Amino acid sequence: MWQKSKASEKRPRTSGATTRTRPTKRISSDKKRPAPAGKSAMMPAAKADTPTYAVELNGCTKQFPTPGGETYFAVRDIDLKVEPGRFVSIVGPTGSGKSTILNMAAGLLNPSAGTVQSFGEPVSGVNRRASYMFQQDPLLPWKTVIDNVSLGLTMAGASKAEAHSEARRWLEKVGLKNFADRYPHQLSGGMRKRTAIAQAWIVNPDVLLMDEPFSALDVQTRQIMENELLQLWQESGKAVVFITHDLDEAIALSDEVVILGAGPGSTVVGSYEIDIPRPRDLLDIRDDPKFVTLHREIWGRLKIEVSKTYETAMAEEGEVA
Amino acid sequence: MTLVGSKKSGLSAALDGGTRRRTRRTEMSPLAMRSTQLLLTIAVLGVWELSVRAGIVDEFFFPLPSDIFQTVWLWVSSGFVFPHLWVTMQEAILAFLVGAAAGLLLGFLLARVRFLERLLDPFLQMFNALPRVVLAPIFLLWFGLGIWSKVAFGFTLVFFIVFFNTLEGVKSVDRVLVDNARMLGASEKQLLRHVFIPSALTWIFSSLHISVGFAITGAVVGEYLGASAGVGYAIAQAQGVFDTKGVFAGMFILMIVVLIIDLLVNRLERHLLRWRPTQSS
Repeated sequence: MWQKSKASEKRPRTSGATTRTRPTKRISSDKKRPAPAGKSAMMPAAKADTPTYAVELNGCTKQFPTPGGETYFAVRDIDLKVEPGRFVSIVGPTGSGKSTILNMAAGLLNPSAGTVQSFGEPVSGVNRRASYMFQQDPLLPWKTVIDNVSLGLTMAGASKAEAHSEARRWLEKVGLKNFADRYPHQLSGGMRKRTAIAQAWIVNPDVLLMDEPFSALDVQTRQIMENELLQLWQESGKAVVFITHDLDEAIALSDEVVILGAGPGSTVVGSYEIDIPRPRDLLDIRDDPKFVTLHREIWGRLKIEVSKTYETAMAEEGEVA
Repeated sequence: MTLVGSKKSGLSAALDGGTRRRTRRTEMSPLAMRSTQLLLTIAVLGVWELSVRAGIVDEFFFPLPSDIFQTVWLWVSSGFVFPHLWVTMQEAILAFLVGAAAGLLLGFLLARVRFLERLLDPFLQMFNALPRVVLAPIFLLWFGLGIWSKVAFGFTLVFFIVFFNTLEGVKSVDRVLVDNARMLGASEKQLLRHVFIPSALTWIFSSLHISVGFAITGAVVGEYLGASAGVGYAIAQAQGVFDTKGVFAGMFILMIVVLIIDLLVNRLERHLLRWRPTQSS
């Protein structure tokens, strides 16, 4: 159901774009991502029996050997299913392995046990259907803003002219069209985030994996960026997996909030449907009665995990002392 | 100063002069700085010249600067030095190119293939610990008196500097930049081109400055120990006939050449690293 509506949504949007940019898009998606090209053929078949998820983690465990020769479990038995087009946030206390989960979904990290799938295909190597927005600054400091944004397209074999014209369109979308020739160190933190957004979205991924992308920004800039992200997402039909430790942010943005337990070896302890109607205005949403009720309910659960984390930390400190 | 002092009270004039002198010192214009440097040079050379002429310093060991410059001029105007310089430059350039290329290649390879790094690390450390000058005689035996023994010698000097800097440069690349490029679909080759090489460039350039000097050092020391041409050979010849003027003239010419080359490397560095924020701002 989801796939079908998504596919039909996507088409008019693409044709709605200017004729100038359309060929670029097709070339880039054909060359770089073979998977999306095969998607339309694969989907009807997949739809018939089981629903395909944009991201699907089944019983994923990640463990690391510690220097002391023991085994450290980052996360244990994670089950996560994200339908295409859904905005899902993962919230958990510090050290609950949020980034580990995202890195497994991205294919940057292999699970020690369990399987990771994206649109019905097992993820091996990096997940070709996904883009990743990092907490830290991911821009290449030796490339100008426009070269940074068009990186995904040029690496996929698009010509520089094509890539730049598409990048210009994206820079306009994120309000940076006058900064195309600057180097990253000449931009403010907010502007660098916008560039990173354009860089991640230009390759037209089906899934966006975001690891606390706005945590380094000041509160006001952050709210503006959240609003802009939501606007971009609403017209895109892409699935988003959003990591945050901020419950307010998670509820305001998402369709679903997943709560992780205290680490180490944390696992999913709860999942909440956020049925606040869209479009949402993030600047006022915190006064919405539905928001308040949901926040109280989810925080009640999260609080337990947060205090567990805190107690463990205190106990460890006591042992050391 | 005295003019100002006559108009104002002594104290305020002193204060005024003091602050003005301080601002002048911190904000000295490039031209003023250059003139001061020129003055310093003239002063040092002047003291040298005078003390030799006055017989305080023995002319045999410290020839007159004016004589040295005369010898330099003679070597340059007669064209005597150019064939020697050309040979030295050939050796240095070859040593530099081969050494830097091998250093870069092996540096990138070992930084990307953990197995090779662990395998070769002790051997590289061993060769690096060897004082390279002791290799010169054996290279003379292996490669003869021609340019190749000097190239080989310069190579051992250049290679390790470039290699260790490249290795460190590639290994210190920001993990996020690599992951981000991979998520955007970078192949291993594209990772090298867009992420590793530019990121390692800062390190590589700091090594290039040193290794250019070492390439020439290698050539000159090699020539000094045994050759039939080159600036090192010319210096050794001058020394053989106790011509200290000739030794100093050779040093001076080498110094100028290395300065010019370093200037070119600086130019190249500024062009390739233009994305970097300037230190002052």
